[in-house]
Amino acid sequence: MKFRSGFNRKYVLSLLAVLLGLIAGAILMSSTGHNPVEGYRYLFRGGLMNLARVGNTMAIATTLILTGLSVAFAFKTGLFNIGASGQMLMGGLAATAIGLTYSWPRPVLLTAMMLAAMLAGGLWAAIAGFLKARFNVHEVVATIMLNWIAFWTIYYVIPGYFKGPFLETESRRLPAAATLRWPWLSSQFSGSYINIGIFIALAAVIVVAFVLERTTLGYELKAVGYNRHAAEAAGIKVNARMVLSMGIAGALAGLAGGVFYAGYAATMQIGILPSQGFDGIAVALLGASSPWGVWVAGLFFGVLHTGKGFMTAMTRIPPEIADTIIATIIYFAATSVLVERYWDSIDRSLSARRERRSVSKEEGGN
Amino acid sequence: MKRLLLVMLVVTMVAAMLVGCAPKTPAPVDPGPGPTDPTPPPPPALKVGMVTDAGTIDDKSFNQGTWEGILKAAADFGLETRYLQPGGETTSFYLTEIGNLVDAGFNMIICPGFKFEEAIFEAQTLYPNTKFVILDGYPHSGDWAPAVGDNTVSIFFTEHEAGFLGGAAAAMHLKTGDVGFIGGMEIPAVQLFNWGFQQGVAYANANLGTSVTIKPENVIYQGTFYDVAAGQQLAATMYDRGVKAIFAAAGGVGVGVINEAKARASAGQEVWVVGVDVDQYSEGEYATGKSIILTSAMKGIGVAAYDMIADALADTFPGGEILTFSAENFGVGIPAENPNLDAAISAKVNELFEMMRDGTLVVSNEQGSLIK
Repeated sequence: MKFRSGFNRKYVLSLLAVLLGLIAGAILMSSTGHNPVEGYRYLFRGGLMNLARVGNTMAIATTLILTGLSVAFAFKTGLFNIGASGQMLMGGLAATAIGLTYSWPRPVLLTAMMLAAMLAGGLWAAIAGFLKARFNVHEVVATIMLNWIAFWTIYYVIPGYFKGPFLETESRRLPAAATLRWPWLSSQFSGSYINIGIFIALAAVIVVAFVLERTTLGYELKAVGYNRHAAEAAGIKVNARMVLSMGIAGALAGLAGGVFYAGYAATMQIGILPSQGFDGIAVALLGASSPWGVWVAGLFFGVLHTGKGFMTAMTRIPPEIADTIIATIIYFAATSVLVERYWDSIDRSLSARRERRSVSKEEGGN
Repeated sequence: MKRLLLVMLVVTMVAAMLVGCAPKTPAPVDPGPGPTDPTPPPPPALKVGMVTDAGTIDDKSFNQGTWEGILKAAADFGLETRYLQPGGETTSFYLTEIGNLVDAGFNMIICPGFKFEEAIFEAQTLYPNTKFVILDGYPHSGDWAPAVGDNTVSIFFTEHEAGFLGGAAAAMHLKTGDVGFIGGMEIPAVQLFNWGFQQGVAYANANLGTSVTIKPENVIYQGTFYDVAAGQQLAATMYDRGVKAIFAAAGGVGVGVINEAKARASAGQEVWVVGVDVDQYSEGEYATGKSIILTSAMKGIGVAAYDMIADALADTFPGGEILTFSAENFGVGIPAENPNLDAAISAKVNELFEMMRDGTLVVSNEQGSLIK
């Protein structure tokens, strides 16, 4: 069933899911006494009304696209990577450590930081992959636990080795040369937080799309995802592929951490598990786990997150309701899988009925 | 089949609600100023916005205290107010929400917390027509050199004085036994509360005939301002060790401490909590007229917000200044009413407060030999 599902249909279903989400959000606004038309107007204006806001939307989306890509990649191999947040932290830590320690020429430094972020995130997630492959520990449990190990690792390492002169709770600020901010790009978007990260995310989307669709590795990974036992019977080393898949997913989340902590932010704070890792799950679901779907879904979520504050400021919708509305939209949007299954079952029952009708003379029906 | 049922249920629900709500849509809501207009509206009407610190608006302490001050001013002067919750705790997130408020015509923005320092530094130049107030911090560019713009006021509090009063009151009430401290993150404001608390206990032991101890293992920074469950566990551990009163300067973590104390007090155990930031007496009520909040080490965050708004309205906004709210100007203290304290103890605490005001009692704002 999954093999025959075309891309177009998947996108239609995702759009349907978004529409459902927006309707649900509108209902929530109406039921709390707010005008949904006004609310949505300000929500989308807040995300898109001028270049600075478009830039900010893209800056927020950058991280979401990469975490979404991470979750989507693991999905393809039938793995559920809930640990993108922890992988982000480890990636961010690696990037921050290099950025604060070395003063190499900028292109070298930034490349090294991003590679280190990928490596750290990848190794972190590979632990969960290894536990799954070797001891059959469910990756959901393992990645959640690793999230907290990462959380407390940051808590120890940042104040211990990278703290600023006064604050115990965050790292020193990265020097401008060690961030992904690019004055020219920021000025194109009237001083927004957009940074080179968006290009890194774009490159990641292209590479992941290529690997999944055009390489043997991608084929094998997907085969493991569709049917582990069949893949094994076909001679694919399932266990090694699972570890590798988690590793790549972790590398993408680690990269998300790199672009977040060295692009959107310039310091790392302790005591925070970045929520972008969890949003990545919704981005992956809405994007139907396809790289370009994730790209679009990430941008859409970027609009929601950037516009939310403006909606609250312009209307009387309190932030808590605004959060609930965004969560509702995300929730419904993420149920595109559900919509798809419903669609399939209609499809199937229709064709079954047709078949039954045509063969009803020979069989007694059921 | 089950799945199909679920989907159908959801779709039906959505459809039903949509139909039910459809006629409501055209009702006009709060027109507001022109949405694309990036400049504040011409009339000088003050619109006060707030961006929240870590934690939520109902954190029973820092955010809530500030917001209540703003609401009080709004009620007294008839102002429009709004608060926004940033999506994260970095400068970019804070600036995004500040920008949202400015774009929506808010021309005075109050930000509680040192985490806003760099965001306010950028915002005060970016939006010169907007007034900014930062509590517990001062604007700087990341180099820690104060750069308070003409449109900004930075406000600090003498938390150590408030903590001292809480410590002395707790020691006088208990007379003997152990007390403890649970902090949120190890940041200056929380450390000052802790150090002041220890000095208050020591003062009571030395001068007021009490013998109350603070053991090093009973002084803990939990590490966050939101982990309610962890606060409850830490409090349970301390009470099990025989601690009779805990001073919790920890936002949401303190809510957990209060919950644990309420549970134990309901079961008949004698446990106390010294509240923080605002008068937390009503938060600690576990039965009619009974609260586990002995007293609260108050910090005039709401007063500060209120005063700044009043000053802005009277055109006397002290832009460019760093203000300190202390005992001297009634910026810190304990509540006027402390139903759990004897009249004699209350009187003694007030005496200490007056001594702080006239300078005969000086509370140190440095750690020295104090625990943590």
